[in-house]
Amino acid sequence: MPIEPIQTEIVVLGAGPGGYAAAFYAADRGKKVILVEQDERLGGVCLNAGCIPSKALLHATELIRESDESAKRGITFAKPEIKLDHLRAWKDSILQKLSAGVRGLADRRGVVVLHGRGHFEDSQTLRVETADGQQFIRYQTAILAVGSKPVIPPAFDLGNKRIMTSTEALELEEIPENLLVVGGGYIGMELSTVYATLGSKVVLMEAMGSILSGMDADLTRPVLQYAEKAFKEIRVGTRVLKMSTSGKQIKVISETAGQKKEELYDGVLVAVGRSPNCADLGLQHTKVQRDEKGFVKVNEKQQTADPFIYAIGDVVGGAMLAHKASKEARVAVEVIAGESSAFKDIVIPAVVFTDPEVAWCGLTENEASAKNITVEVARFSWAASGRALTLDRVDGMTKLIIEPETERVLGVGIVGHGAGELISEGVVAVEMGATARDIAESIHPHPTLSETLMEAAEAFYGKATHTISRRKGKNG
Amino acid sequence: MDIRLPQLAEGADSGTVVSILVAEGAQIQKDQTVIELENQKAVAPIPSPAAGTVTKVHVKVGDSVTVGQLLVSFTEEGAGAPAAPAASPAAPQGQAAQAPAAAAPAAAPASGEYRYVSKSGLPPPASPTVRKMARDLGIDLTRVRGSSDGGRITTEDLRTYITALQSGGAFAAPAAVKKPALPDFKKWGSVARKPFSPLRRAIARAMVDSWTTIPHVTQFDDLDVTHLQELVAKHLPAYEKQGARLTLTVILLKVLAAVLKKYPVFNSSLDETANELVIKEYIHIGIAVDTEGGLIVPVLRDIDKKSLLQIAKDLKSLAEQTRGRTIPNEELQGGSFTISNQGGIGGGHFTPIIHAPEAAILGVGRAKQQPVYLKDGSAPAPRWMLPVSLSYDHRIIDGADAARFMVELAAVAKNFSENEVKL
Repeated sequence: MPIEPIQTEIVVLGAGPGGYAAAFYAADRGKKVILVEQDERLGGVCLNAGCIPSKALLHATELIRESDESAKRGITFAKPEIKLDHLRAWKDSILQKLSAGVRGLADRRGVVVLHGRGHFEDSQTLRVETADGQQFIRYQTAILAVGSKPVIPPAFDLGNKRIMTSTEALELEEIPENLLVVGGGYIGMELSTVYATLGSKVVLMEAMGSILSGMDADLTRPVLQYAEKAFKEIRVGTRVLKMSTSGKQIKVISETAGQKKEELYDGVLVAVGRSPNCADLGLQHTKVQRDEKGFVKVNEKQQTADPFIYAIGDVVGGAMLAHKASKEARVAVEVIAGESSAFKDIVIPAVVFTDPEVAWCGLTENEASAKNITVEVARFSWAASGRALTLDRVDGMTKLIIEPETERVLGVGIVGHGAGELISEGVVAVEMGATARDIAESIHPHPTLSETLMEAAEAFYGKATHTISRRKGKNG
Repeated sequence: MDIRLPQLAEGADSGTVVSILVAEGAQIQKDQTVIELENQKAVAPIPSPAAGTVTKVHVKVGDSVTVGQLLVSFTEEGAGAPAAPAASPAAPQGQAAQAPAAAAPAAAPASGEYRYVSKSGLPPPASPTVRKMARDLGIDLTRVRGSSDGGRITTEDLRTYITALQSGGAFAAPAAVKKPALPDFKKWGSVARKPFSPLRRAIARAMVDSWTTIPHVTQFDDLDVTHLQELVAKHLPAYEKQGARLTLTVILLKVLAAVLKKYPVFNSSLDETANELVIKEYIHIGIAVDTEGGLIVPVLRDIDKKSLLQIAKDLKSLAEQTRGRTIPNEELQGGSFTISNQGGIGGGHFTPIIHAPEAAILGVGRAKQQPVYLKDGSAPAPRWMLPVSLSYDHRIIDGADAARFMVELAAVAKNFSENEVKL
């Protein structure tokens, strides 16, 4: 029975922070938009199984970490009682609120939301399997924003619910006494922090030589120091070979430097990366091309090889971050609207919500040395920050990566309490092409952690108020 | 690394390659001259900033080049080939990395093919607003000169650039009044054509500027320099022993210094923007030197503070450097008054053109012996009379001032103390 297809200008497939942003921008420009989402809740991974729930749990558990530190300041608390159901319900209430908020925004813009799984019939037709049966959408342009999912190697996937990915870990069903976290990237580190605080004895295994590999070592050092204290063990250079069910536990065989080890854990969290959600989308019926890792190939205008299909967010690879997806959404919609937009020379900040937090934007030191770019680095240790002392959080450092000839700030890196909030000044500086002097000359309120940016800039000129620089004064 | 044409001096933003002293593949030392450039007033050597091996010479003899233009590429010694971001979109047309981005001064975009190339391989610094504007308008920001700190492009810079584009003047030569076409001279006989060199063009431009913007008046007089000639003749040998040549010009410079001190308006410049007269408290006299290529005016500084011997020596070396076209550009700048002496060749009165933005210029001819009545009723005596012509800017100097200047000049020359000449 042929069904009359719904006609629309734009269909957005996936309602995560990329997809709903794209739908909203397009609607704001007067386009007729249909937003297709297979989940009941809008917001995608970020809102439902990523950024938001993990930050809720990190915040909730921070109080425990803080109260431990408080004793030495003369304020002690009783051992916290953790009501997991309450905690979970509170977290879920946030997701509910945000998701409803996104829904409300879609309605007010006249964006039609269709729940169901989408499947491309051809370059301009999407079939959606809704609860009420099939719907066909005939569109002028599609924006593919289907996101990514945690990778779980087949060798680990026992169908045993004690083996979790980040998605399940954020559901917070229970607190395993002995938890193995496989993967020392930012997801593994953030969730290890949550579970360790809630009482798990965390063993972290990382195949690379260090945790948070790829990031500048001076930024990750304080995180490593925390983890060494809070986790039972960190085992780098370690590969997990096999997992098997052993009663109520998981038997794990791992190998470190040629030494095999067999251990039992009450739970395992696998956080070894994410892969694009490209399966069963019918992409073979379109001209969309994918790279060897399965990510959809796009140009800087977010156009795929199919002239009717754009793609944004995790599914195109790169930094799998919500704010990158949102910006790509804006670019895609602007290009569709005929503007000369491009995702080019755009600074993507990154934040790791560990304890302390790590944040950076623009050029990193590692990148500079890999690309053979000569830079000068101006650092300011939080040990010299009055605000950090009053917070009892001197485990921080702020640095500026500077182009020596022009004194232009090419990158900013921060580790420390609230680094995620502080990095935005760095983003503005790098985007504006600011010089170190611009930052040094701007008054930063005292006493705040933001002063560390100013002092780092002053350190570049050898004139930081609160440190003695090795540098001699530069240019007055 | 690349060698680009640096900013040589104010106004010297272009030139012609007169010689290339290195070949591709050649080893070069730091500070070794790789190219010689004839720019407006002199031949400027372009040195290499470091030692290395020349990989490419991007210009040929006779090419006109502008500031920032790529001249020679070389690999630095020891450093290996720098990881030039060859794939960088900011380095189009095969321009390798390494432009003196920081050195690029703020300027209107009119100075030709400006290109921003970052050592870091990054696009030029500009706010997202400016980048968006540029993208919307299809403007390549690497062509826009940033005036802010670190070479940052402001909205104003972009606007200036666009305005220049609209007026069509961005890359064209300064708009010139259209001249009527020349007749075909060959109709009347055979002709030869010779290039009008950059130096000649610079002179032409300066002369037109001065002549069309400054109302000139020229005052003629004859100075009795018999006394000075006697001093020269008497002390010449002593100076020669010191390797210096005492000439009438040398003493005249000293005479001029005294007169300029007394009438400082002749040693001033008019600042029309501020409506102020800029009186210089120094006496730096430009000396017009005749060279094969044309007129060049090196500057002899602090004449009032120097001994005649020193002036004689300085003058000699300055003239040699100028004729050899090795004079540094700085030596051609900062004059407060100019003297144009034709005496070595011959000549009488003439109407020199002021070396703007100075206030006046003294033209000097050849001294001739003439009968002069020194006292009423006495027999004429043979005296050495020097024709002098003072052109002055009538906006700031009146005829009476000029007459006083001449009278003073005659008086100082007449009473010039032998003590000043004696070694």
